[in-house]
Amino acid sequence: MDATLKTFIIPNELCRRAGIVGTWVRVNELGVFPSQHIKTTNSDSVSLYGPSDASVFNVRQQVVLFEPILRKLVNEANGIFLSVQELMGSNVPDYKSELLKLSRQYRSIIRACLENLQEETVRAKATYKEELQNYITIFYSVECIWHLCEILFVENIPGGIVLPHLLEWVRFHFPKYERNAASLLREDVIGAELQPCYWETVIGSLMQGRIELVQALLEVHSSADGKPFQLAIQTLRTMPLYNIYGGISVSEFNLKWKHWVLDTQSKIEAKMFSSERHLNLVMRLAVGDEVAWGEMQTHREPWYAFLAASLFFKEPTVKAFELGQFARQCIAKVGGAVKMRHLDQVLLASMELDIIQVIKEIQQMSENGWFVSHLVDLLYHAGRLEGLYSDETKVIGSRLRESFLLDYGTLLMGHHSLWQVGLNYLDHCPTEGLSTIELLLPALPLKSEARTQKIIREAHKRDMPQIVQSICKVHTMDSISKGRLGNALTWGLKSQDGGFTSLIADKFLRKYKETGVLLNEDLLDNLGSSMLISDRLIFLGKYFEFHKEYRLKNYKEAANILISLLASKLTPRYFWDTLLCDAINLLENNVMVISSTDTYTLLHSLEEKCELPELKDKIDLIRLGAARNLSRALLYEMQLDKKYT
Amino acid sequence: MFEAQEVNAEHKDLIHDVAYDFYGERMATCSSDQYVKVWDQNSEGKWNLTSSWKAHSGSVWKVTWAHPEFGQVLATCSFDRTAAVWEELVGETPGPGERGTRHWVRRTNLVDSRTSVTDVKFGPRTQGLQLATCSADGVIRIYEAPDVMNLSQWTLQHEIQCKLSCSCLTWNPSLSKNHPLMLAVGSDDTNLSAGGKVFIYEYSDNIRRWIKTDTIASVTDPVHDIAFSPNLGRSFHLLAIATKDVRIISLAPIPDNANTQSGLNKLDIQTAAQFDDHGCMVWRVCWNITGTILASSGDDGCVRMFKMNYINAWKPVAVLKGDGSHISNEGHRSSVSSAASLPTPPMAAVSQTARYIKLGTISQSREAPWH
Repeated sequence: MDATLKTFIIPNELCRRAGIVGTWVRVNELGVFPSQHIKTTNSDSVSLYGPSDASVFNVRQQVVLFEPILRKLVNEANGIFLSVQELMGSNVPDYKSELLKLSRQYRSIIRACLENLQEETVRAKATYKEELQNYITIFYSVECIWHLCEILFVENIPGGIVLPHLLEWVRFHFPKYERNAASLLREDVIGAELQPCYWETVIGSLMQGRIELVQALLEVHSSADGKPFQLAIQTLRTMPLYNIYGGISVSEFNLKWKHWVLDTQSKIEAKMFSSERHLNLVMRLAVGDEVAWGEMQTHREPWYAFLAASLFFKEPTVKAFELGQFARQCIAKVGGAVKMRHLDQVLLASMELDIIQVIKEIQQMSENGWFVSHLVDLLYHAGRLEGLYSDETKVIGSRLRESFLLDYGTLLMGHHSLWQVGLNYLDHCPTEGLSTIELLLPALPLKSEARTQKIIREAHKRDMPQIVQSICKVHTMDSISKGRLGNALTWGLKSQDGGFTSLIADKFLRKYKETGVLLNEDLLDNLGSSMLISDRLIFLGKYFEFHKEYRLKNYKEAANILISLLASKLTPRYFWDTLLCDAINLLENNVMVISSTDTYTLLHSLEEKCELPELKDKIDLIRLGAARNLSRALLYEMQLDKKYT
Repeated sequence: MFEAQEVNAEHKDLIHDVAYDFYGERMATCSSDQYVKVWDQNSEGKWNLTSSWKAHSGSVWKVTWAHPEFGQVLATCSFDRTAAVWEELVGETPGPGERGTRHWVRRTNLVDSRTSVTDVKFGPRTQGLQLATCSADGVIRIYEAPDVMNLSQWTLQHEIQCKLSCSCLTWNPSLSKNHPLMLAVGSDDTNLSAGGKVFIYEYSDNIRRWIKTDTIASVTDPVHDIAFSPNLGRSFHLLAIATKDVRIISLAPIPDNANTQSGLNKLDIQTAAQFDDHGCMVWRVCWNITGTILASSGDDGCVRMFKMNYINAWKPVAVLKGDGSHISNEGHRSSVSSAASLPTPPMAAVSQTARYIKLGTISQSREAPWH
C-alpha cells in the first residue's frame, strides 16, 4: 500500500462495521453508503446489521476555486488562457515576448486577487477570516513561484545573466525595506538613525542590491557629513554594477569588480569605517566578507532572499544554469534542508531548472489545478516541455499539458455556472477534449429553458447534433410527463428525429380521440414545412387543416383534405374510424361537396377497413351516406356534362 | 479536501445499491428491506425523499436509471426472481415543488428468470430502450420496449445461456460503426478450475444474434462487479473488474479480422492495471463520468480511487474509510449556508440547506499527486 495516500474518514459506525461502497454522482461527487456484499447463492434474510439506520454520504471534493471571491481569478485567467492559444495559433514571429507579457498578466490577476482577499480579510468574521488567510497563503506562494518560473523559463534573458531579475523578484516579494526607506527619506529629518528601523532598512536595501538607495539613506544620517560616511557613500557610488548592455565583457567587468573589492577591502582594513559599527558592517558586506555574511545568515530573511543578496556581492555574473548549485550551498548555510517548506522546495526545484519536479510539486498547492494547468500550458508554448525526462521516460509535453487542461476543464464543468469556462479549456485539448465535452455537455442539468438553449448553442458550435437531439428529447419527455403536449412537440421538432416526432403526433391524435379536442392549435397552424419530418406529423397537420376549414364552413376544401388523407396511406390504424366518421357530416352536407370519384375513393377505403371492430356500428351509416352522396353527385355531374355538350 | 453530506436513507436494512440519474440530481436506493426510495436534490443541494415503495418480495439487489430521453424510468432486480421497470407519473395538480405530486408505477414485471435476478442494466441510449438482466442460474436476457412511449410492453429479444452463475453485467457505452453492441458478464462461481469468469458478448447484425466472442482467461476468481469505462474516442475499450483484486482490462478490436459469418472482430485482451490495494475481495467498481477515475469497494471497508495519468498509467489517489469512533462534533461541522450567523434551529431536518461535514483524515502524510 502506498504510504503517501490520504485516507478520509466517513464518520459513521455502520459504515465501519459493515463496509462501504462508493458510486459516482457526477464529476467531483461520490455517493458512499454502508453495504455488504451478498453472494448470489446466499439465502435472502435480514443482514447482521438490520434493522439499522443506514445513511448515504454524498462526498464531494472541496473546490477552492468555486468560492465566489475567487470567481474573478477563474474568469480572468480564462481570458488570458484564450489569448495564449490565440497567440500560438496566429504565427506571430515575436511570440516569445508576447508570451512573457501574458505571463505577467497572469501574475497581475493573482496579485489583484490577493489584494481582494486582503481587503475581504479585514471585513471577514473569525472562521471565514481563517479560510481567507489560507487562500492568501496559497496564492501568495503561487505568485512567488510563477514569478521565478517566468524569469527562468519564459523570459529570454540576454547572456543568461539572471541576477538583476532575481533581485527584482526578491524586491517584489519583500517590499518592506523599500517602503521603510521611502518613509525615512520622505520625512527628511535630521537623525534618521534614531528611527528604530534605520539600520535594518539600510542593510535590507543593500541585500536587495539597491545601492543608490543605500547611499541616499546614508545621506540622511545625522553624521552624514562625517568622514566615514562620506567615504562610504563615495565608495558605494563607484561600485561597478554589471549590465549586459554596458558595453563591457564579463571578464572586463570581473576585473573592474575585483579591483573595487580590493580597494574597498584596504579601506576597511585601514579602519576607515570602524568608528561607525553599522557602517563598517555595510562595507564588509559589500565586499563579500565571509564573517560579515556569516552574521547575516541568522537574519530573518528566507534563504532565497539571502541567496540573491550573496550572489549580488559575490557572483554578480552568475548564469541561470549555475543557480541551482548556489541555491543548495545557500540552503546548507542557512540551516540545511530540514526547515524546507513546500514553497522552498518548489523554488529550489525551479532554480535547479528541474521543470518536471516543479510541476510535480505545484500540483499539491490545493488550488485545484488552477496554477499547474495555466503554468504548464504557458511552459509548453514557450517550448520548455520538450526533451524532458521523468523517471527516465521521455515526457511528451503535449500530453502532459493536455492532461492538466482536461482535469481543470472537467472540474469547471462540474460547476453550475462555470461550465462554459470549462469548455474553453477542453476545446484546447487536441486529443481527448472533444470526446470529454461529448460526455460532459449532455450531462449538465437542464434546470431552465434559457440554460438548455445555452447548452444547445455550445453543442451546435462544436458540431454535435446528436447531443442537441438528445437534449431536445429529454425536454420532450419531461413536457409529456407534465402533460404539456405543445411544449413537447416544439422540443420534439427541434430534435429532428422523425420517428420520435411521430410518437408525439400520436399523442395528439390519441388525445383528440379521447376528448374530441385538438390541443395547441396555434402551434399546429404554424407547423409549415417542419411537419415534413415525419409522416405522422404531416397527418396531424393536415387533419388540423381539415378541422380549420370545416369550422370556417369551407366544406369543399375540408372535403378535399379529408379525401386526400383517406387516399394518402398516412392514416394511423387507430384513427381510421375517426376519419371515416368525419366523412359522414360532409356526405350529408346540404350542399354537395364530395364528387363521385372522391366518393369512390372513400368507399374504397371503407371496404378496406371494414374489418376494424371500432367501425362496426358506424359502417352502415357511412355506407348509407356515401350512397346518397354518390347519387347526388352522379346526377349533378351528369347535368353538368349535358350543359357543356 | 473532501466534505460529505449525510442523508439518512430510512431503509430498515443495509443498502445494496444507490444509483444517481444522468444529471446526478436524483438518487434511487434499494435495500434488503424490499423497498426502493427516490430522492431529489433541491436547489440548495439538500436531498429530500420524494417516493418510497415496496418494490419486490425479496431483497432488491440493484437499481438503475434509464436515460432521461426515455422519461423518468427505473429498473430494479431482486431475489424474488423478477426484474421490474418503473415509471414516474406526475399528478395533474401541482403540489409542493414545481413538479407536482408524483408516484412510481410498475410498468412491467419481467418474470422469465427461475432464480434470483442479480443485475439489471439499460442499454446504450442510441439503441432505444433495451434492458439486460442476468440471473444466478446463468441466463442473460435482453428485453426491448419497441414503443418508448409505452413502457408496459417489453419483449424478450434474446436469451443467452452462460453456463456459470452470473453476478453482474455491463454494457459497453461506446458505440460507433466500428463497434458492435457489446456486453460483459461476470460470474461469482467459486470453482477456479471452471476457467475465466468474465465473458464478452457481441451482437452480430449479420445473423441477429448475441455471440460470445471472448472469455477473459486471466480472471479465474469469482467476479462480483464489472464496468465498462466511458469511451473517450479511443480505439480500445476499458473494462474494470472487481474480483480478488481490482483489474482493468483493455479490449482492442483487431482490425481486418472479422469472422465471415458474424462480421465481428476478434479482440486483443490485455491487463492494463491490477491493484491489490484492498488486500481482499473487491466487490464493486464504478467509473466516473469521463472514465478518468475508478472507485472500487472491498472487504477492507474502504473505497479506493485510482486515476489514469497522462501516460495512461493508473495510480491510487485517495481512500475513503468508514469509522464512527471519532464522529465529528458540532465544531467540525460547517454549513454551506451563508446565513450561519443567524440563530439556526438545532434540528437539521428543518433546514432546507445542505449541511456538509469536512472529512477528517487518518494519514497525515501529504496527498499523492494526481499525475
